[in-house]
Amino acid sequence: MRLVLFDRQTESRINFYPVALCRPIWELRCGMTSLGEKLIAKIGATDVVGFLPEYIADVYRERSDWTINDAASLGAEDLLLVNARVKAESFEVAPTGPSQVAFDDNGECLFARIAKEDLGKLVTDSIDGLIESAREAFPRYEGEIATWNYTWDLILSNPEQLTKDFAAAGRSGNVGHVEEPLAIRGSRDDVYIGKDARVHPMVVIDAEHGPVYIDDGAEIHPFTRIEGPCYIGKKSILLGAKCREGNSIGPMCRVGGEVEESIIQGYSNKYHDGFLGHAYVGEWVNLGALTTNSDLKNDYSDVSVMLDGKHAIDTGSRKVGSLIGDHTKTSIGTLFNTGSYVGAMTLIAGTGKPLPKFIPSFAWFLEGVVTKGFGKRKLFETAKIAMGRRDHEWTPAQEAMWEEIFKITAEPRMDAIKKGRRAMRAQRS
Amino acid sequence: MATVQDRVIEVTARVLQLDAADITPDNNFTSDLGAESVQSIELVAMFEEEFGIEMDEDGALAVTTVGSAAEFIAGVCKEQGVEV
Repeated sequence: MRLVLFDRQTESRINFYPVALCRPIWELRCGMTSLGEKLIAKIGATDVVGFLPEYIADVYRERSDWTINDAASLGAEDLLLVNARVKAESFEVAPTGPSQVAFDDNGECLFARIAKEDLGKLVTDSIDGLIESAREAFPRYEGEIATWNYTWDLILSNPEQLTKDFAAAGRSGNVGHVEEPLAIRGSRDDVYIGKDARVHPMVVIDAEHGPVYIDDGAEIHPFTRIEGPCYIGKKSILLGAKCREGNSIGPMCRVGGEVEESIIQGYSNKYHDGFLGHAYVGEWVNLGALTTNSDLKNDYSDVSVMLDGKHAIDTGSRKVGSLIGDHTKTSIGTLFNTGSYVGAMTLIAGTGKPLPKFIPSFAWFLEGVVTKGFGKRKLFETAKIAMGRRDHEWTPAQEAMWEEIFKITAEPRMDAIKKGRRAMRAQRS
Repeated sequence: MATVQDRVIEVTARVLQLDAADITPDNNFTSDLGAESVQSIELVAMFEEEFGIEMDEDGALAVTTVGSAAEFIAGVCKEQGVEV
């Protein structure tokens, strides 16, 4: 059986922006692992291929051994096609069996199980063709298929998922280096300190309300307090952080200040004081000192988020912080409003006031308005430097992908730039 | 009717808070008129607003003098079908 994870450029894809602008949805994190890792583990697949928007494909090939966007991989095996939005824990479909399919209310395929002997009836020269021909050919699955529908679903499920993932990992104890005194509250069985991880003196790990997993090579500096459930990724460093419950911090991050129920994809810095709560932060983000997001409105009403800059979506939750895209940088003292959307490759110079709730990708937010700034070339140069600092290369494929993202995100950005120009002119007249 | 150059000088004076009469075509925005980096961005935005055009930021920010800005903008206006 071959597992085919797919993430097509459908209308719902925007629901996972800005972090899914530059990666497949299956790479998004919830708990200790990505959505893709959870699906693979649940299904027990060893043969996995992927289909994702073409503009991301070359970058993904650089970081993955999987066969990507290759129609030849659809031809000769029992196939289980699974949408990256499907929740692994409730996916109870047997990997092999009679061909059948499931679609959501919007007509988006959630999975298609295709027996090898049925492939001859189908169009196999593209993922879209295969799905559409399977839709016509096979019976519908009668059960429920639960899905992730928005990025904030991942944030809100993170604490629970962390606890489940810790149990699934089946590890506890210390195989790293601990300098006493280390204070552990709760059961030591709910704490894991990985290989080559270093815990400095005067650290508090509070596992009373959930497990704490410190992955290989992570470093926890003095006066850090980590509340479980929590996952600290490989080679990440906590710098005297108040790491509240429900955080997933990916690899190679630098985190200080107060962080609560947030997901940081990886390679991002929040070195200094400032509060980050109920947020999802992409890779290569730098949050300047005292950057803070609100995650709760003063009237305790549900938080809304604008994903397209025009239409507010009620999250149904009282707590949602910021969604921050890859390569975005904030100045000191940046203040994000509750439920803010901050695009990718955005540069923000804070004004001391809460910023607009929607800041588009590739925006230079200066003097309180969105501008074209010094343009995308300068942003690319900065990205290249930031990645080089962690021994990662800004490749031609990356540049091509970000050029495409610049086009994809043009409309809301141009609207914001025009609005900014009018505001500037009004200030000057 | 004001020329492109007259309008460029007027916008420059407004953004940099200078007297338009003191600005000449050969003035360099940075070294002669004291434009700082954020003001350069503001100048580009205000030229776009004044003329109703969209400029490529790399090209626009490569312009150094008032006169060359007027030439650059006239070219963009022509490309984008904006009468000046």
